[in-house]
Amino acid sequence: MKKRTLHTRMAGAAALVTAGALVLAACSPGGDSAAPASPGTADSPATEGTVTVWHYFSDPQQVALMEKYADLAEAANPGMTVDNVFVPYDQMNSQLISAAGAGSGPDVVIFNGAEAATLALAGALAPLDDFWSDFADANQFPDSVIHTVNDSMYAVQGYVNLLGLWYNQDILDEIGVHPPTTMNQLEDALAKAVEANHGGITLSGLPNSQGEWQGFPWLSAAGFTYDNPTEDALTAGLDRVSNWVDQGWLPQEAVNWDQTVPFQQFAAGNFAFAANGNWQMGTAQADANFTFGVVPLPLGSTGQVYLGGEGAGIGANSAHPELAWAYLTASYLSVEGNLAAASLVGSLPARADAAADDSIASNELLKPFADTITQFGAKYPSAAIPPEAVADVQLRMGQAWSAVIGRQHSPADAARTAISALNNLLG
Amino acid sequence: MTTMTLGRRETSRADRRPGRQLRGDKRAHKNSLRRAVFLIPGIALLGLLGVYPLIQLVWMAFHRVTNATINTGPWEWVGLNNFTQGFQMGETGPAISRTLIVVAIVTLLGMIGGFAAAAALRSSGWWSSALLALMVFVWALPPVVNGSVWKFLLSDNGLVNAIVMGLGRSAPVPFLYDTHWALASVAFVGAFAVIPFNALVFRAALLAIDPEVFEAAALDGTNKWGEVRHIMIPSVRPTSLVLLVLTMVYAFRSFDFIFVMTYGGPGTATNTLPFLGFLQAFARFNFGYGAATSVLAVVGVFVLAVIYARSIRKEEA
Repeated sequence: MKKRTLHTRMAGAAALVTAGALVLAACSPGGDSAAPASPGTADSPATEGTVTVWHYFSDPQQVALMEKYADLAEAANPGMTVDNVFVPYDQMNSQLISAAGAGSGPDVVIFNGAEAATLALAGALAPLDDFWSDFADANQFPDSVIHTVNDSMYAVQGYVNLLGLWYNQDILDEIGVHPPTTMNQLEDALAKAVEANHGGITLSGLPNSQGEWQGFPWLSAAGFTYDNPTEDALTAGLDRVSNWVDQGWLPQEAVNWDQTVPFQQFAAGNFAFAANGNWQMGTAQADANFTFGVVPLPLGSTGQVYLGGEGAGIGANSAHPELAWAYLTASYLSVEGNLAAASLVGSLPARADAAADDSIASNELLKPFADTITQFGAKYPSAAIPPEAVADVQLRMGQAWSAVIGRQHSPADAARTAISALNNLLG
Repeated sequence: MTTMTLGRRETSRADRRPGRQLRGDKRAHKNSLRRAVFLIPGIALLGLLGVYPLIQLVWMAFHRVTNATINTGPWEWVGLNNFTQGFQMGETGPAISRTLIVVAIVTLLGMIGGFAAAAALRSSGWWSSALLALMVFVWALPPVVNGSVWKFLLSDNGLVNAIVMGLGRSAPVPFLYDTHWALASVAFVGAFAVIPFNALVFRAALLAIDPEVFEAAALDGTNKWGEVRHIMIPSVRPTSLVLLVLTMVYAFRSFDFIFVMTYGGPGTATNTLPFLGFLQAFARFNFGYGAATSVLAVVGVFVLAVIYARSIRKEEA
């Protein structure tokens, strides 16, 4: 039985490599620079040895945060050395899955929390239940940041990232409007901004999980949910964004933008609004030469905003998981680590005690995001999506969102196609 | 005739000396064994990195393989389901059509552009050398870099649109975000990237033409177009067939520029077979679907590879 499993694992890894090689022939997006380090193998006490941490951060502030985590962990655990390894976002999951098949991988992985199910089902993450039950500060973390798959815990978020509505106060003053609190006010402001020869709003329309993440709040405002997905609600939501493109309020070019580009456009002063995340705080403060602010997305009574952020887990093949856990508790899950994420990147602490810290409560830019959690916060991904279907659902919805913005399909056609796929995937 | 005579002579000498014949046979056998030993590493590598993974890929295409079973198994046999599902869901059919469009554009522009560049580069001079160096540079650029540069150039605020609008157009051309333009744009960039390679191959063929042929043509009063039509095109015809197949194989694998420039969008407008296979395997983590789509792409490439091998054999003959 064991032999069979080993054979299947090897065959799986080989097949994965093959499929990748064939499909990705001559294309390794940045992969050549990201050969992951092999996991530490030394038999060592819990607080001594090298902890290999895979992450996909390339933004300077986020890289600084990873370095801060390393400093915190090394200071708390004399003898520990942290090796941060960059893996491009697009390759993180496939590299983790193929590493798991080959019996290797990192000690710690910082990844998109929404993809915990994908990685856990592939056997790339180790269960954290035992560590968590012994963790003295476990009660500081809300359930929404704990990722469980089939009743086992596999990852936890040290902070929360979510979307808000960034506005250019200078443009709003010029067109004589206040930061919007309702959808009608937002659309009125968009019309006035475009009339005054400014851009309206920026967001991402990429046909992937980023598009789904950005589109879901607007779709939910029209009544769409994954608990009860209806074609009418989805059509209404897609209709709204389609109208924004028709009116010139949202550039059709958004289908080529990931979440970084639209914020750069906003920070350059070209647009009145940007639907973007709290993690852009550093970029806004560094690049925007105008007065800016944030309000919650004006989503009405049915709107929902995903509570995203990076999940942290321990690699399934980590040679020293205790050391990996020591790294996490000293950095990512500690009060200091939570506050560092807030100050360096603008992420909201997941820990209750860190969230209550003065530096967080007094931060004017973080407050609207904290309000959004209370008002619209939604689990990411939705609990209605079966773990094995998460990646598929995100892609299908991202494609529908992109198809409407890019004029490939009408809202009704895109909704029909997406609902048909969802009916199969959601069971 | 001479060869046949010599052969007969050699045979008769050998007949007269059977001991030498035996030693010769032994030596030939040893040589052939030695050659076989040298072949082993190549065959082993090819088998390990080419044949075995290919067998695994085909095996996966007939099984249900997801992220939950890729490493642990067992893989459930689903027959042709992975192939038919793609067509039933309306993914594979359009992807094949888009792939063929990309192949047509890349092949046409790549071949014409390559030949035109080679014809221009045939003459010597500093500008010819400079252009050649530039083309080699473009050819050597990693696709990710090339694609990123083109994404920037073709954006609303990019250089190409700045020129287009400078010429009087009131709105930017939606190169990368209109359904039809996006597919044409990624195909164009694919063609742009293959032109240098094609030009280098065509140039080698053109340089093999005896200069006296051009001198004779000049004496007959042939103009430049006549040289192209009556000397250059016939001379590169054998090379063209080989290059045509190589260009089509290159175009058939269209993935990298799509990944960088459109990620298959808007919506699914630039999902070609290779990119669809990528999405199925590495975004949806349904490796069975991805393998089935990849097998379709492999079949396409395999057909072209057979044509290529035949044309090579013909050219060598």
